[in-house]
Amino acid sequence: MTDLIRLEGIAVHFPVRGGLADLVRRRPAAVVRAVDGIDLTVGPGEVVGLVGESGSGKTTTGRVVVKLTRPTAGRLLLDGADVTKVWGGDALRAYRRRIQLIFQDPYETLNPKQTVHDFVAEPMVVNRTVPSAVERERIVLEAIHSAGLRPAADFAFRYPHELSGGQRQRVVIAGALVLDPDLVVADEPVSMLDVSIRTEILQLMLELRRARGLAYLFITHDLSLAWVLADRIAVMYLGRIVEVGPAPAVIGDPRNPYTRALVSVSPSPEPPAPGVRARREILAGETPDAAHVPPGCRFHPRCPLAFDRCRTDEPPLFDVGAGHASACWLAEGGRPLPAATRLAGS
Amino acid sequence: MTGNIDPRRITRAVEESQAAEADRSDAIRDATAPEVTVPVGGADTLARVEAGFEADAQAAAGIAPAVGGATVPRGRGRRQWPLPKQADPDAPLLVVEGLRTYFAMDGGAEVRAVDGVSFTLNDGEALGIAGESGCGKTTTALSLLRLLPANARVVDGSVRLFGIDLRLKTENQLRRYRWREISIIFQGAMNALNPVRRVGDQVAEPLVERLGQDAAEARKRAGELLELVGIPKARGRAYPHELSGGMRQRAMIAMALACDPAIVIGDEPTTALDVMVQAQILELLERLRRELGLSLILITHDLSVIAETCDRVLIMYAGKVAEEGPVDTVFRRPRHPYTQLLLRAFPNIRADVRTLGTIPGSPPDLRTPPEGCRFHPRCPLAMDVCRTEEPPEVTVHGVRVACHLYPPGGEGTVVPVPIVEVVGAVADPGTGSVA
Amino acid sequence: MSTATLTPAQLRAERWRLRVRGYRDGWSRYRRRPDGLIGLAILVVFAALAIAPSLFVGPLQTATTATGTSLQPPSLAYPMGTDELGRSILNLTVHGTRVSMIIGLLATVITVVIGAVLGIVSGYVGGRLDTVLMRITDFFLVIPTFVLALILAPIVLEIVGTDAELFGIRVTLLAIVIVIGVTSWASTARIIRSQALTVKERMFIDRARVIGASSAHIMRRHILPNVVALIVANTVLVFAGAILTETTLAFIGLGDPFQPSWGQILNSAQTAGAPGLGAWWYIVPPAACIVLVVLAFTLVGSALDDVLNPKLRGRR
Repeated sequence: MTDLIRLEGIAVHFPVRGGLADLVRRRPAAVVRAVDGIDLTVGPGEVVGLVGESGSGKTTTGRVVVKLTRPTAGRLLLDGADVTKVWGGDALRAYRRRIQLIFQDPYETLNPKQTVHDFVAEPMVVNRTVPSAVERERIVLEAIHSAGLRPAADFAFRYPHELSGGQRQRVVIAGALVLDPDLVVADEPVSMLDVSIRTEILQLMLELRRARGLAYLFITHDLSLAWVLADRIAVMYLGRIVEVGPAPAVIGDPRNPYTRALVSVSPSPEPPAPGVRARREILAGETPDAAHVPPGCRFHPRCPLAFDRCRTDEPPLFDVGAGHASACWLAEGGRPLPAATRLAGS
Repeated sequence: MTGNIDPRRITRAVEESQAAEADRSDAIRDATAPEVTVPVGGADTLARVEAGFEADAQAAAGIAPAVGGATVPRGRGRRQWPLPKQADPDAPLLVVEGLRTYFAMDGGAEVRAVDGVSFTLNDGEALGIAGESGCGKTTTALSLLRLLPANARVVDGSVRLFGIDLRLKTENQLRRYRWREISIIFQGAMNALNPVRRVGDQVAEPLVERLGQDAAEARKRAGELLELVGIPKARGRAYPHELSGGMRQRAMIAMALACDPAIVIGDEPTTALDVMVQAQILELLERLRRELGLSLILITHDLSVIAETCDRVLIMYAGKVAEEGPVDTVFRRPRHPYTQLLLRAFPNIRADVRTLGTIPGSPPDLRTPPEGCRFHPRCPLAMDVCRTEEPPEVTVHGVRVACHLYPPGGEGTVVPVPIVEVVGAVADPGTGSVA
Repeated sequence: MSTATLTPAQLRAERWRLRVRGYRDGWSRYRRRPDGLIGLAILVVFAALAIAPSLFVGPLQTATTATGTSLQPPSLAYPMGTDELGRSILNLTVHGTRVSMIIGLLATVITVVIGAVLGIVSGYVGGRLDTVLMRITDFFLVIPTFVLALILAPIVLEIVGTDAELFGIRVTLLAIVIVIGVTSWASTARIIRSQALTVKERMFIDRARVIGASSAHIMRRHILPNVVALIVANTVLVFAGAILTETTLAFIGLGDPFQPSWGQILNSAQTAGAPGLGAWWYIVPPAACIVLVVLAFTLVGSALDDVLNPKLRGRR
């Protein structure tokens, strides 16, 4: 079974315009390496969780997949066909019909001057996919209904300010469904919603996946959310994927020190057992900015297990078995990680 | 205080506060509790902090010190610096009783944001106030210091700090307590910093304004405070936009600690931060709690954060207390249906089961809250009495609950709420593919 | 799954219903502003005077049809006195309303259309087009109105000739309209552009791009509706400014003496030596009208701003 979407060596580098001082001192313009060479696949009907902190490049990756951002290197394949150079005309329209995006902020994704109906109908109008007006209306109402806003006709003519956050996100989802896509990139779809609403929206997304065979690229900073939803998890750090694999494997048996630290500090509603110190690896400092990527393994300055090779050579993704891979010299040969030997200090 | 202020009173006030400062420093330095290393004071004490921490770290064999209720030393004794003159030395640190704060909206409607909330905070304790948006947790915290918007007023209740009822104080009198006894780290603290002033100056500001220190002294102290929260002193000359989110949050904490308050209120202090930075900040708060003898009120919607950091938790719903008690008890044996449902709505990365629960319905409009128990429209176990009568607060097994399932004089055994709806990736054992 | 479908006719009906509701809400919000209502009332009065001046004061008096004595102070027969030719000032002022208002209206239309289109396109498209357009805008922004008017007016008059008529207005006035339009659009363009830049950054624009919308579609369906409020607010002020500009141009002699606008009347007053002679009734009526109209526009503009930009944005 071919992958639905395949990213090969995708890189997105943004040039930083040098100031006058740089010009005078003849310093080369800095480059923000937001995404620095990643390989990722999403299979049909699969939920892949792309997890990373701010500055990891996960949002940019999502934007590359929906073709909002041009990659500076690498290939993008849809169903095995190279679509990297597709940027206009019918080919782009065909691509967009299959790949859609749900944004993070339901308050901002909707044009305040646009009714729900117009928002949901817009993809069809813009792409001229459904010439018959009556058919369009049917699809719009059906999408609104599928998104859980019932009665659909009632919601169709409301404005965003008349809807709650959860309802707005449903409208966004309805808008993404209308072209009957195969993959939906969901960038933090629930992080701005109340806890009790989150589950409803996630439930809707999974239900749609079951009913329509949708695949999701679920981008989030919340590892525990990815744990609940994803089939596979890819962890990003500073523009590269440092670990990828089936969710239970990545969370239960992390083979990358960064992943392990993240898992250990992800809070859970279960209080630590009395008398037992919670074993948390709290890393020092913060993710460096993408214009100043450390040499060698980019995680080495903060890594509790770094050794000499890490400072000079960047590790590739090593296969550690069963679709699980980790970009760490310690994972070479499929070995599990040793316990931390020095304080990660705060 | 009305009329012209006698300049001699100002001098005296400044002298008094400086004397209090000196007393505090001495008192803390002389404290016998072995873990207390003194950050207030000179540079040598900072070195002691570092040394102590290193030893701690080495002892922990490479794992960073834990955060969690179990490790907080209990019974450290009362605070080591002089109490306010009117304080009652035997009273608990903070007792809030029957607090009611109402907002006046356009058109005469009244939003009962906080409608009868009571709790106690003891010395050195960390209390978490949890609930969804609109439940009144932030308003509760702001009511303690009367930092409310113009259309809000505290209509009832008492707020006793060291036994002194702050509600009876005038605005001017309250200033003695604001920031000096209770300070706040605001929500979205990163944006609460003034972008055109240097960070060090902003941290020094409360010292100049509240304690009357002169600029040079304040700046020196600000440097110490920054070091205390993990920001190198030199970074005090930076502007807020030059610092990362985590650093800005630390700067806000430094500002909150400037006057050595007894209580620090954190209003969603880690909400906008990455999970690693959040862990750093929570660990910092825990360390400060240990070393400075601080008490903490942590307000957040994130139950996981409370589970890991607080001793006690107060669950609020629609302006009222649903459940309150030790974190261990409330989180492992939740009684109130809302608590049970809310806990299930948080993903648990340490569990083997990958599920999330829902809470049916939506939070009520506080202009017209439901009759009887405010949660009844969404409660799977609602009974007839819930629709008409507000449940009384009952204390069972050390936990306070307001629910008709736990009537006064009853056993108090937990009534589990049936699983409402659950979502999550559940593997199909046959094919291994996921449903 | 049974979902009712909407026929195109029902769709139109729904949209119409929504629009009507929108206007009704807007009006009820506007009604709450006493300043807006006062401004509107003033404008309604002047609009009536502009549409049918003869209904109120009879036909325009000329030198030949003048019936009064020269420079008479206000009396029962002549409520606002007479000018040096014996014409009733009231008559002149009321007829002047039409000229002033129409010039204002036409000039405003030109200004706003050019300004809004350029502003939206420049702001959204950005890049080199933006740079070029903005430099042109700067050019027009910087040139003093009168200098440009002095240069343009004779040229336009040359081209147009001095005797043609359009809509009952002499074409010479169109020259003034063009001059005002050409000198005012720059500031509107700048204002609209800066708003367009802000709207461009919002997430729903990204979303529109993701679904494959063209730039034209985005500008028309997303940028424009979110900029309309500012355009309307700006239009009101442009209108006021146009009237003032016209007045000034007429005052310095670039108007048409045969079709008196308020500025023209003031010009005549000055030429006739009214200030020196103490003939205040010659100056006050047109001046008062100008002040009232500009004030009315400002009041309406501020009330509209309130209606179109509700401060309340409910969140969660």
